[in-house]
Amino acid sequence: MVQDPDRFEIVLTEAYPQILFWFAMPFTSPVPWEAIAAYDGQEGRDRFADHPVGTGPFRIAHYAKRSRIALERNPTWWGTEHPEWRAPAAIYPTEGAPGDAEAGLLPPDVVGQPLPFLDRIEMRFEKEAIPSFTKFVQGWYDRSKIPKESFDQAARGGTLSPEMQARGMRLERTVMPGTYYLGFNMRDPVVGHDAGDRGRKLRQAMSLVVDAPEFQRVFLNGRGVTAQSPVPPGLFGYDPDYRNPFRQVDPERARRLLAEAGYPGGVDPATGRPLRISFDTGDPSVQGRLRYEFFVAAWRKLGLDVEIAATSYNQFQDKIRRGAYQLFMWGWIADYPDPENFLFLLWSEMGQTQSGGPNTANFGDPRFDALFLATRDRPNDAERMAGIVAMRDLLETERPWIELFHPEDYALLHGWLSQVKATGLTVPVFKYYAIDPAPRAEARVAWNQPVRWPAWAALAIAFAVVAPAVVTWARERQ
Amino acid sequence: MIAYLLRRLVWGAVTILGVLLFLFWLFVLYAQPEDVARRALGEKAPPEAIAQWLVNHGYDRPAVWNPEAPLDTRLFDHLSRMLRFDFGASDADDAPIAARLRSGIGPTLGVTLPLFAIGLPLSLALALGVAFFRDTYIDRLGVVVCVLAMSVSILLYILGGQFLLGKLLRWFPISGFDPDPGLALRFLALPVFVGVLAGLGSDVRFFRTVFLEETGRDYVRTARAKGAGDARVMLRHVLPNAMIPVLSAVSLTIPFLFTGSLLLESFFGIPGLGSITVEAIQNNDFATLRVMVYLGALLFIAVQVATDVAYTWVDPRVRLE
Amino acid sequence: METHVVVNVAIAASVAGLVIGVALLRRSRHTREQLGGIGRRRPVATLALALYFAVAVLDSISWRDGAGAAEPRSIVDRWFPADFAERSYSAPLADVEFYGGAPLAHPGAHWLGTDILGRDVLHLALGGARVALLIGGLTSLLAIPLAILLGVVAGWFGGRIDDTVFFLLSTLASIPSLLLLVALVMVLGTGAVQVCIALAVTSWVSFCRVSRAETLKLRELDYVQAARALGASHARILWRHVVPNLMHLVVITFVLTFSQLVLSEAILSWLGVGIDGSWGQMIDQARDELARDPVIGWNLGAASVALFGLILAVNRVGDAVRDVLDPRTLRELQ
Repeated sequence: MVQDPDRFEIVLTEAYPQILFWFAMPFTSPVPWEAIAAYDGQEGRDRFADHPVGTGPFRIAHYAKRSRIALERNPTWWGTEHPEWRAPAAIYPTEGAPGDAEAGLLPPDVVGQPLPFLDRIEMRFEKEAIPSFTKFVQGWYDRSKIPKESFDQAARGGTLSPEMQARGMRLERTVMPGTYYLGFNMRDPVVGHDAGDRGRKLRQAMSLVVDAPEFQRVFLNGRGVTAQSPVPPGLFGYDPDYRNPFRQVDPERARRLLAEAGYPGGVDPATGRPLRISFDTGDPSVQGRLRYEFFVAAWRKLGLDVEIAATSYNQFQDKIRRGAYQLFMWGWIADYPDPENFLFLLWSEMGQTQSGGPNTANFGDPRFDALFLATRDRPNDAERMAGIVAMRDLLETERPWIELFHPEDYALLHGWLSQVKATGLTVPVFKYYAIDPAPRAEARVAWNQPVRWPAWAALAIAFAVVAPAVVTWARERQ
Repeated sequence: MIAYLLRRLVWGAVTILGVLLFLFWLFVLYAQPEDVARRALGEKAPPEAIAQWLVNHGYDRPAVWNPEAPLDTRLFDHLSRMLRFDFGASDADDAPIAARLRSGIGPTLGVTLPLFAIGLPLSLALALGVAFFRDTYIDRLGVVVCVLAMSVSILLYILGGQFLLGKLLRWFPISGFDPDPGLALRFLALPVFVGVLAGLGSDVRFFRTVFLEETGRDYVRTARAKGAGDARVMLRHVLPNAMIPVLSAVSLTIPFLFTGSLLLESFFGIPGLGSITVEAIQNNDFATLRVMVYLGALLFIAVQVATDVAYTWVDPRVRLE
Repeated sequence: METHVVVNVAIAASVAGLVIGVALLRRSRHTREQLGGIGRRRPVATLALALYFAVAVLDSISWRDGAGAAEPRSIVDRWFPADFAERSYSAPLADVEFYGGAPLAHPGAHWLGTDILGRDVLHLALGGARVALLIGGLTSLLAIPLAILLGVVAGWFGGRIDDTVFFLLSTLASIPSLLLLVALVMVLGTGAVQVCIALAVTSWVSFCRVSRAETLKLRELDYVQAARALGASHARILWRHVVPNLMHLVVITFVLTFSQLVLSEAILSWLGVGIDGSWGQMIDQARDELARDPVIGWNLGAASVALFGLILAVNRVGDAVRDVLDPRTLRELQ
């Protein structure tokens, strides 16, 4: 309901405390309707998606979605036009979380100064791992995520390598509020609900041999927090001390459970062959396949014949929609910091095959549903905690998911970039950053001295090869 | 002459029609539009949205034959729009394809023109040199080096160039692009270098064969008998006469420049037509891919017809055929 | 039917096709001598090619050890111990893991090291030969018979048939092959058979063109005319007189095309639509490994050397084949 040109009111028809989070999401940022009307994509005009207009401290100077985005200081930003307001989001914070002052994030000459500090921000999209990290190391980028491939160069074991420290680089790490998992399709007759206790034991056995820390070590360079339940760290309901008994590698117990499930040694008595399970993926790339192979190898040790069905993302979507899948790998990153945002992924009403919801595992358990609805809208109190623990314990034995890890983001910064704090969910933090351009210019020169001798060597070899022939020819001509 | 030209033009037009029909079969009849729609709209798209998308993109109409309105078919739509260069919107994000192509032409030419302008003279010169020293160790070594060079996959040239010249030796910025021409030159140096190197082996070998064939001809012997020096024979007699096979080979490689730069561009982060194509592949963007294939074929046909005309200009005897 | 059975049959078929092709060539003493000449001219390359071929065939023949075994293992697989894997990267002949330095299960046994999943790189590289043979064999199996049929029929009968075939030829030839290839794979879907079909569509043109042009020539030759005058049927003349006499050109074209096929697959792998287990995929993997520091080069090295060796051998043998069989005609045709 619009109250006046600057205010409106939203009336909720049911209790939904999470709506406050929604207003912090990108899709509720205010945009001028005139811009949406003007950039309609008709008759050669840009579309709004390619020409966004917002209300932030920066505006877009160049926008090529998949190669380069440039932002420049917005001279008409309300924070710049009205420094006298000293609005909280328009000046550098005067106080921080414990430890921020010690970390040098509250320098006295900056605190309380109007934002932003940067005039221009250039962002480049780098698809390939070699160039992106090399360019950071050579000083062409101020800040870079660490591609997993370059990780050992940068930060083995969570601290920065000595070479990098010598170059004045810093490491920034954040555990993301997200969870990656392997999911079973619970509507499948072999691995799902209908298989009853056999299916449960099969899922438990498969869960017991998936070595998530090893996966993190091999593919993520040890990054990430091994997941024990769907709720990630940083959210209410996450218990750092909880150890899921089915997520500790125990091949012996897995074999026993598999035998109890009626597949001794992984062999399906109906066929006399190893039980065949298809692992459906929408990523046929080599890199993707290697990751799936990791899990398949573990299950193969149990005697199960898990086959990777790697199709295009398209065909994978189609399989998901038709419910024609058994096993998949998926991840979910929080939209907002509330456990409801993760637990609803297993709520029966969100069933993928039935209602197109994000419950891709098609998990549907009345006990879980009741607990979920009871805790969904509660404030974060002991009762909610008890409900979440009860759901966790239910998932522990039911195993619709094999939880893998909560991702962790590592980023590298050069010494000349300051006032950066790792933030997890918060995206718009550029306005706090500051850069000291002089050392950057020096470093770029110093770090990019070409090694020229191979060129001279190549020329010399070419000359040495050709010269005798030329000499012979000249002599013959005489 | 006129009749010959006309014949070539008609041939070109018929071939374009053939290409268009083939593309229609491949992308419109064979490919499933529902898949494309789902990919474009995301996994959570309800069936109504998909149906609407199909209507918006014209997939709901009859494919080939519409008894009520003979022109209201996807075939006619496809043909008329392709011929008018009205490419419509991308399947992946609904952005206009034509605008994207316009933005990609500059960077692509930035790679391909230097590639062509440096690569061709360089390989001609090297081939001439090798042919000049025929029957010496230079020739034998040259051929071996050429065969070695052409046995290496272009992927390895790119990886090696980037790793060695960009990362270890720091001769060039390792990748990237800048619309400012001065900066762009620095960024384009490495891809052009790698591209030239990758093409050198097969080109030099082929041109050498052509030159050697010419040196065996009577007029060369006559020129020699008249006392012309080796260098003079090569430059004044062999080179011009070898231009016809060279021209035809070059005309075949021009469209290859377009696709060869596909890998270079996507790897060196140059936002040209090649990168657009690779993106279209990765996004299952059939609409864009269809346009790229069509333009590639169009370029090929245009170059073929132009080459045929150029023949008559380089060598008047061709007209008699 | 299970995939390994299908593969066994396919390999048997392509080997049989090769044998038949060689047998056709050996029917005349002339070509028999020519075939010997190739080996004499390029002994190393011919030997290398034979080696690749042998590895590929041995890696294609696989069977299960009893019903309980999950995976059928090929003869090449059996050269390696059953559980010949580590946890992750290890350098060639290393005793410890590359990262972390934990002891290996098979210290010093991995001649070329192991990849990210701990698989033996030598084993993977040998497996690539099979994929290369599959690319060459299956593609030719799909492309050559049809191409010869169309080419010969077009060249023999001329008229409308010839016009149609020529139209098809020039249409397909005018689409830049890499784009055509990618478009086909996108639409057909990924997988070994689909990729080979796409490669067959792109490489079909050169075979068809060669056989059509040669048929046009053969049609005018005396003995063919004589056979016609004696009242032999079209089919009989084409089968007995025309096809055998253009096989040598098809063989040359095949050898020259083969390296292109394998290199094209590498590019497709790069674009994410290649065939599993190919050298192209190993190289694709390596684009990340080169960004590591210290660099992991053995995976890339093994795949590149294997690919390079095959292409080089094919190129060298191809030169010899062309020189020996028919240098003149083919150049005119191209």
